[in-house]
Amino acid sequence: MGTDLALRRLNKNEPEDRKRRLSRLARDPWLVPIAAVLGLVLWQGITYWTQLPSFILPSPLQVIRRFVDTAADGSLLRNTVATLSEVLGGLALGLTTALSLGYWLAKSRQAEKLLSPYIVASQSIPVVAIAPLLVIWFGPGRLSKILISALIIFFPVLVNTIVGLRSVPEELRDLMRSLRATRWQTFRLLEVPAALPVLFGGLKVGATLAVIGAVVGEFVGADEGLGFLINVARGLYDTALVFVCLAVLVGMALTLFGIVALLERRFCSWQESGRSL
Amino acid sequence: MHRRTLAFGLCLTLLASGCRNVTQTAMPASPATRPIRLPMGYIPSVQYAPLYMADERGYFADAGLSLDFDYSFETDGVALVASDELQFSLASGEQVLLARAQGLPVVYVLAWWQDYPVGIVAISESGIREPADLKGKHVGIPILGGASYVGYRALLKGAGLPQDIATLDVIGFTQVEALLAKTVDAAVIYVNNEPIQLESKGIDVTVMRVADYAHLASNGLITNEKTVQTRPELVRAMIVPMLRGIKEAIAEPDAAFLASKGFVEGLEGETALVQRKVLDASIEFWKTDRPGYSDASSWSTMQDVLLEMGLLSAPLDLSRAFTNEFLP
Repeated sequence: MGTDLALRRLNKNEPEDRKRRLSRLARDPWLVPIAAVLGLVLWQGITYWTQLPSFILPSPLQVIRRFVDTAADGSLLRNTVATLSEVLGGLALGLTTALSLGYWLAKSRQAEKLLSPYIVASQSIPVVAIAPLLVIWFGPGRLSKILISALIIFFPVLVNTIVGLRSVPEELRDLMRSLRATRWQTFRLLEVPAALPVLFGGLKVGATLAVIGAVVGEFVGADEGLGFLINVARGLYDTALVFVCLAVLVGMALTLFGIVALLERRFCSWQESGRSL
Repeated sequence: MHRRTLAFGLCLTLLASGCRNVTQTAMPASPATRPIRLPMGYIPSVQYAPLYMADERGYFADAGLSLDFDYSFETDGVALVASDELQFSLASGEQVLLARAQGLPVVYVLAWWQDYPVGIVAISESGIREPADLKGKHVGIPILGGASYVGYRALLKGAGLPQDIATLDVIGFTQVEALLAKTVDAAVIYVNNEPIQLESKGIDVTVMRVADYAHLASNGLITNEKTVQTRPELVRAMIVPMLRGIKEAIAEPDAAFLASKGFVEGLEGETALVQRKVLDASIEFWKTDRPGYSDASSWSTMQDVLLEMGLLSAPLDLSRAFTNEFLP
């Protein structure tokens, strides 16, 4: 799937051989799992030959064993569900806010002039610095993690929404006006389709950032979630468990990214075929 | 062609400067001193006054050591010592046992803090006076792990109370704010820190010290088995100035506080008054007839608590976890 996306982004002017390489990758999807297996074998080899202690670098077998243990006792699933619910909550809140505000800012230059300095300034605040305050204000439960997650995805989605809506060609707006389209019709039939490609770009970034946001919140203070489990594992010098949590987090981010990519293919198929609005 | 030559020259220059830096880092501070990077486990604080004092008065230099204070996480320090990347770190007793349970060959060689500095604090008007009063209350804790969690569980065990007597809320290191905002009824804290901060705001507090209910191995100096076996003179060279610093900080708290000013930023005005009280409270934990000595019973109690918590799956050989053989 990743290679398909890369292919689509290829500029027409890029060298033909690169295109050919990527298309070969897309045709041979087994190359990706083979690379992963080779990576694991290399990793196992490094731990075997260097004899590094497991608290520095556990072997893939140790990590897999730990994965099986934590999956069997239910702790991995319990904490994964907790993080996932925070991520989805953060995505829902962050997307709703960013899309609504983005639409308003795209339409109103005055609103943009008034609010954009504050929005940009808010992005210079590191989330790790503000996260403890959110825990104090909104309590140590899931709400504070959802808010942190929403905060972290807000900006990229907002910017992409504004850029997407402003990228609608003026002549198409003229066309809609000449057809006496209502505001709703213009929004539904012109602005949304035109903004979707850029918007999906923001969504992809947001989907992976939401995972980071939830984990940052859990690092600050939590009694459940994969960030919490990483903290516990570090305290117990259980590096294999840290690797298990990281692998699950990577899997979660990739899955969310993949879902957005699928939605993009579904809703932006017109773009792939090279047709214009 | 010209551009390629320029790039090649730039690479060579960078490489040469990199090599020079490596050489500089690897060189000792002076021919007579050996550089020691010491992970402290916390931010610069007056709680490290004995080390600052010993450094300022040249005791480490006299022992042939040049100390570099490293304020990284406690667990990172323990892992670096275990892998022999570093030879020493400050660590708490429970970290030593948890690390050894995972095969990290660390050894505790100097007991600095004679008792566990963790406790539970409540605002006096809450009516919480003793551990039994926590029944049905919300207790804030920074994290479900580390010294705070171990201390909390040990306190309840020592007081003969069930572990589920109160609801634990994980609040990060925001205990003072959480108590002031009344989002929790009590909080697990360091006795020598948060209660003093609360009192400085004019708030009366009740403090329940873990030390009054259980004698646990606390903060001290750790090294690794390799250093113990192959460089015992280095361990002694580290311990002697540290002990001297601890003794002199207890005897001369004013001088200890003054020495801290060279290492801790912002020790002025109101902050200085609060931090001076933090130092005085910390000194109480360092006082003992046998400085540096590890009491076997404190390790045994610590192990019992960790076993009961499920953090250790089986008893360890405690005789390998700590030693008093390097004390003068």
